[in-house]
Amino acid sequence: MAQSGNSMELSTNINAAQVTTAYGHRALPKLNEELQSEDLQTRQKALMALCDLMHDPEHIYKAMNIGCMENLKALLKDRNSMVRIKTTEVLHIVASHSVGRFAFLEHNIVLALSFLLNDPSPVCRRNLYKAYMQLVQVPRGAEEIISKGLIFPLVRKLQGEAEEEFQELILDTLVLCLREDATEALNSNVVPILKQKLISTNENIRSKAARALLNVSISRVGKKQVCQFDVIPILVHLLKDPVEHVRSNAAGALMFATVITEGKYAALEAEAIGPLLELLHSPMTVARLNATKALTMLAEAPEGRKVLQVHVPTFRAMEVEPHEKPHMAEALQRAARIAVSVIEFKP
Amino acid sequence: MASTLTDSTSRAPGTYTYTSRPRALPCQRRRYRDSLTQPDEEPMHYGNIMYDRRVIRGNTYALQTGPLPGQPDALELQRQREAKKRALARKRAQEQLRPQTPEPVEGRKHVDVQTELYLEEIADRIIEVDMECQTDAFLDRPPTPLFIPAKTGKDVATQILEGELFDFDLEVTPVLEVLVGKTIEQSLLEVMEEEELANLRASQREYEELRNSERAEVQRLEEQERRHREEKERRKKQQWEIAHKHNETSQKIAARAFAQRYLADLLPSVFGSLRDSGYFYDPIERDIEIGFLPWLMNEVEKTMEYSMVGRTVLDMLIREVVENRLYMYEHQRDSHPSPEPEVEPHGPEAMRESLGASEFLEQSMSQTQGLLLDRDDLQRTTYDESSSQERKLMEQSELLGQDEETARRESLGKEELS
Repeated sequence: MAQSGNSMELSTNINAAQVTTAYGHRALPKLNEELQSEDLQTRQKALMALCDLMHDPEHIYKAMNIGCMENLKALLKDRNSMVRIKTTEVLHIVASHSVGRFAFLEHNIVLALSFLLNDPSPVCRRNLYKAYMQLVQVPRGAEEIISKGLIFPLVRKLQGEAEEEFQELILDTLVLCLREDATEALNSNVVPILKQKLISTNENIRSKAARALLNVSISRVGKKQVCQFDVIPILVHLLKDPVEHVRSNAAGALMFATVITEGKYAALEAEAIGPLLELLHSPMTVARLNATKALTMLAEAPEGRKVLQVHVPTFRAMEVEPHEKPHMAEALQRAARIAVSVIEFKP
Repeated sequence: MASTLTDSTSRAPGTYTYTSRPRALPCQRRRYRDSLTQPDEEPMHYGNIMYDRRVIRGNTYALQTGPLPGQPDALELQRQREAKKRALARKRAQEQLRPQTPEPVEGRKHVDVQTELYLEEIADRIIEVDMECQTDAFLDRPPTPLFIPAKTGKDVATQILEGELFDFDLEVTPVLEVLVGKTIEQSLLEVMEEEELANLRASQREYEELRNSERAEVQRLEEQERRHREEKERRKKQQWEIAHKHNETSQKIAARAFAQRYLADLLPSVFGSLRDSGYFYDPIERDIEIGFLPWLMNEVEKTMEYSMVGRTVLDMLIREVVENRLYMYEHQRDSHPSPEPEVEPHGPEAMRESLGASEFLEQSMSQTQGLLLDRDDLQRTTYDESSSQERKLMEQSELLGQDEETARRESLGKEELS
């Protein structure tokens, strides 16, 4: 009958005409041998079979044990582009499971993959970016990527890649890496590039770039750079963007950037208060939270306080507002209370 | 042949050259001549290649290899032989039959008729049927037919009518349920897994948002704290600086007051000590002391030297006089005592000279004595002048040479003392 775990059956994607896998637990060792064969056809077939098998994490674990990863690493340097494409696809599937990520870290695959960043085939690169994106979902993976010094090439690629899908994938990767440690990215001049991406036409790119800036400006250096490169006016402009999640991310980035005095005055100059107040009524809770926090920051400056004193009732209304998720409601209420207290602060 | 060859070659030189020119072949040529002596002048029948059976025209893939006309096929041969046999047999039969019956009349034919009751077929010849058997050429051995053993037993037949065994619709439901159910369950599981993952991601994001907002709050508070702290630090620093300055100024004032007081009597004491050590001198006095007095002393020295020189000269004079007198005396003793009065004028002259000198000396002496001795002693010296003049003169003029310097030194010393 149906089990709660993954089924041992092979997924239906197998093209039986193309490849024959050995039965049962001989499948992986046989495939492992075939990966090392001299014949191109054999290798390609083996890779395709692996692609299908790797959806099951138990197979991934087994593959790790028999040393499949080393072979895959060797195949990354193969001359045939089809082999490379398939290898990166296998690695991408492997990276979506936690066992697989562990395998990545153990066998130092990240570095081997990084050599393919300049690969001519776009499919290969797409798989590579997807693999990285899956890898950085866990903090350990993000640390790995940072420690191998891949931030700088990724940032450069972000600038270089023309296709938007690739840019989105790279941005995803960068967002999560920046959450971990932003110093190296800041050294590699990421803020101007993100600034460029903020005005891109694709809404996903805008949203992700705004999120990346959010993560960048968590650290102090990041905040300073954000102010230095005049990103705040653009962020304020994005507050009026038609897409909801772009606005929310822009508000979040502003929230962090306005902690320092420079940021506060830059935001006040760019007239951020108006759009932020509008954002308070947005349907997305996150947007409301970010906007409240940003307004709190701005209320610390005397000019901001003056303007916001008029809007205290809005915040008071937010304090008693209910929300379906209790912790979100609590968070909103707390934020509103703090905002009120800051606005009404008398020295 | 050769001639025709040469003719043909001479006819068309430009197109082709052949070793053997193409020519029409005679057909139906006997392979072997009937007789050796048969000349070969019979007319040549040339065959058309188009109608030659030896030439294979068209598709040769599915070639029916029939017997070549030149070569007799075995089958053909056999058939021919049999045909000949038949022909022979027929002939023999015909020859046997002919004398028996007269030739039929024109327009009529002899026919054998059976007149018995029961007709029977008359045939000498045995009905022969030719059977031949020949296996097909190049056919594969057909596969062995299945060995189906002879059927033994009884044949029994049965017929299942509709509805007798089972009701399909009823029976199929559980099976279907299982099949469909399993599939749906599996797919539901997978979908739920994905949904779970999506939910996890969503909750992760929510958590991240909350965390971000909290972080922002923390940073804001930190920032505030930092600002306050910096402000405090600045103020404290300011205050400290003020206090410090205050302190310093008060210290400076105190020090100044103290120094003033301390140095109040410094000046007079300084002046006093300086004055004591002679730093404040009257320039005229100094000038007198520096300039005038040495000059005075020099002059005094000079004067005294003069007096000394005079005395020395006087000494020499006296000496010479005395020596002369002595000489003269001795001489006179030897000769006579007349040069005495000669000497006497010399003598008194010398005496006068010496007196003059002595007066001069006396004057200088009185001067020096006046300078040498105190004023208290002055009267005594005036007394002594006249009485003990000569005595002193004599004494002092001899001693003067030695005493002059000591007296001078004494005078100088006294001078210095004073």
